[in-house]
Amino acid sequence: MAGSDLAKYPFLNEAGEYLRESGFGWDELDLPDMQYIVDRAAERIEIEADGKLYDKLERYEVEILTFLVSLIIVKSVGIDQVLRKFALAEARRAEKFLTEDLRKQGESKRGSVFAKIFEDLFKLKISISEDRRLFRVRVVDYLTRASHFHEQEWKLINRIVHNGYVYLDADETVRLVRNELSIFIYDKVKAMTLPSLPQSIKSKANQIQLKMLLRYERRTSTAAREYPPCIKHALEVMGRGDNLPHSARVMLATYMLAIGKTVDEIVMMFEKAPDFNEKITKYQVEHLAGMKGSHTKYSVPSCDKIRNENLCFATAECEMLINPIQFGRNKK
Amino acid sequence: MRADTKADAAKTISVLKKTFKEYYFNRSKAVEQPLKIEQREFGYMQCGQAGMLRHLSFKSMKELDALLVREAPCDVYCSNGYYLFPAEQPMQAKQWHGADLIFDIDGKDLGMPCVPSHSYFICTQCDKACPPENDHQGSSYACSFCHSNKADYVSIPCSKCIEGSKRETRRLIDFLLVDIGLERSAITVYFSGNNGFHIHISDDAYVSLEPQARSDLVSYLSGTGLILETIGVRKTNTEDSFSIKFPKSGLAYGWRRRIADKLKIDMTSAIKLKNIVHQYGGYEGFKRELEKIVKDMGVRIDPQVTTDVHRVFRMPGTLNSKSGLSKTKCTDLSSFDPFLDACLLGDGLINIRTKTQVKLKLKKKSFNISADSSEIPAYAAVYLMCKGLAQAG
Repeated sequence: MAGSDLAKYPFLNEAGEYLRESGFGWDELDLPDMQYIVDRAAERIEIEADGKLYDKLERYEVEILTFLVSLIIVKSVGIDQVLRKFALAEARRAEKFLTEDLRKQGESKRGSVFAKIFEDLFKLKISISEDRRLFRVRVVDYLTRASHFHEQEWKLINRIVHNGYVYLDADETVRLVRNELSIFIYDKVKAMTLPSLPQSIKSKANQIQLKMLLRYERRTSTAAREYPPCIKHALEVMGRGDNLPHSARVMLATYMLAIGKTVDEIVMMFEKAPDFNEKITKYQVEHLAGMKGSHTKYSVPSCDKIRNENLCFATAECEMLINPIQFGRNKK
Repeated sequence: MRADTKADAAKTISVLKKTFKEYYFNRSKAVEQPLKIEQREFGYMQCGQAGMLRHLSFKSMKELDALLVREAPCDVYCSNGYYLFPAEQPMQAKQWHGADLIFDIDGKDLGMPCVPSHSYFICTQCDKACPPENDHQGSSYACSFCHSNKADYVSIPCSKCIEGSKRETRRLIDFLLVDIGLERSAITVYFSGNNGFHIHISDDAYVSLEPQARSDLVSYLSGTGLILETIGVRKTNTEDSFSIKFPKSGLAYGWRRRIADKLKIDMTSAIKLKNIVHQYGGYEGFKRELEKIVKDMGVRIDPQVTTDVHRVFRMPGTLNSKSGLSKTKCTDLSSFDPFLDACLLGDGLINIRTKTQVKLKLKKKSFNISADSSEIPAYAAVYLMCKGLAQAG
């Protein structure tokens, strides 16, 4: 792997090997020469904690050290939200480089390097389509990853699927692993044990910690809600005394439980059902609430599930929602 | 299953139990051994008893066979999931580590037009049944004996119903082979034992798939969630206006090909597509139309069955209490006749009393039984008792 690759992908094992081989020691971080690296690492964290991309790229010796020091600082700041933002931004930074490199893949023979990154890091086999314009991943590998994405365009039905493969362009192929890369970096920091830190890093970490603590103290409260259209529809059907399918009843009851209605309030919502039996309904609602039976509290079914069961009556306000419980949360 | 009196019910249950017991005694080999039996959870139902006995586990088929003969259950289920501790409770304690991918095609979900012509209402109040009438709708039913409007709707599937389910099964297999890329040998089709087909997939790659990913696969197969942008119709900022820009990756495969074929368009038909969208009143109108088209072209599978990774599912080779027929492997779907190939009970005579005049054809023999007492072969008698249309005489 070339030095320029290590600069872009400092999380690879090869970067760690480089550090070991160069005989780098912790004490060196207090040397005046290293202040540049420490400042750069702090800048990287602050930019990334703001949700922005850190787009500077220097020679690999600088990048590998900056990345290492960033990990140490984020670890010693010890605020989970900061670590999550950092991990996601680092993943997006790598995603940007990977996309550029994958696009060049057709022009050079470096493809195998990237196929190796995908396979080593994410256990994802990618190959090039017959016409060399697209990449392909196995359907099952695609489903495992993309089913966590919320945008409709990532649903399998909106992709090119043929003969066991999903065909993707370079951006999409890399986007597929962004979450895993983010988790990889998050886990890497979580698993770190820090030795006693050089003063230069300690003071930087303290400064960032103070700033971030102030930022994350504030918590947003959820506004009073309006029912999402699927729930409204179920309530209308109920109100008319028509029969509501079992899956719709589960959706309605779990939703009402999730927004804090009591079991008795929910039972009375089913009063007009043609087969209403107060005792049975109460037992069922209590079961969903985790008070009876297996004591598992059931969550509100996802929008995907509701869509599959033909219970979805989405309006424009439902765009980007993955669960009806999110409906109206961002309303002012 | 219903009966006028407790004694009638008890007698019917006893006859069913005896016949089921004979089946499991004589045909223990018919029950298929599930892969990794020791990692599966089992469950069963008893004739005339509500609720399922589940959280059972067996080390071998021998143990299971012994239970089947001893208990003569009316339905037998095995988990699609694999667990470290299948008998533990609650579910979390079982330690799930994968589940087979399965699909369920149920004839009753296909909206076959012939259904009213072979379906019966059985009054939940007086237990009287009334023969099929084409103009009956569930909501307008009133019992001609006691005037109650509450009834069970029981269907005796006809060959058209079965053909409808077969067609749906073939469509599913086509999707699984051509799009999803499964090997034909990884797909096993079973008749459900009543009015549909179960499709079991044996491909290790799919075993660890989470419910969310299975749900995405279900959406693909059933044609749910397609956005117009996928075929090149893009919404612009102005209300209901749109532009056509075909995806660079083309329309040659998967759903894109299916829709392109249906609309008779290709990558050169931007103007034609634009006209089609206009024809349906713009972006929103076309969206509604396309949703219908895609739904019709998709496969009608039960989403719950495929996405539930903790389900206990009817075991191949066991009897279905809704019919007394067996869940049977279909080696050749086209020639498979459930009313012959899955009708495995004996032909010793059993005396029954039917609740109304009933027509049925089993083992190539036609029965037209009046609402009276009659002696008919066990396989037909059990079928009618399981349907709730007869009691042991």
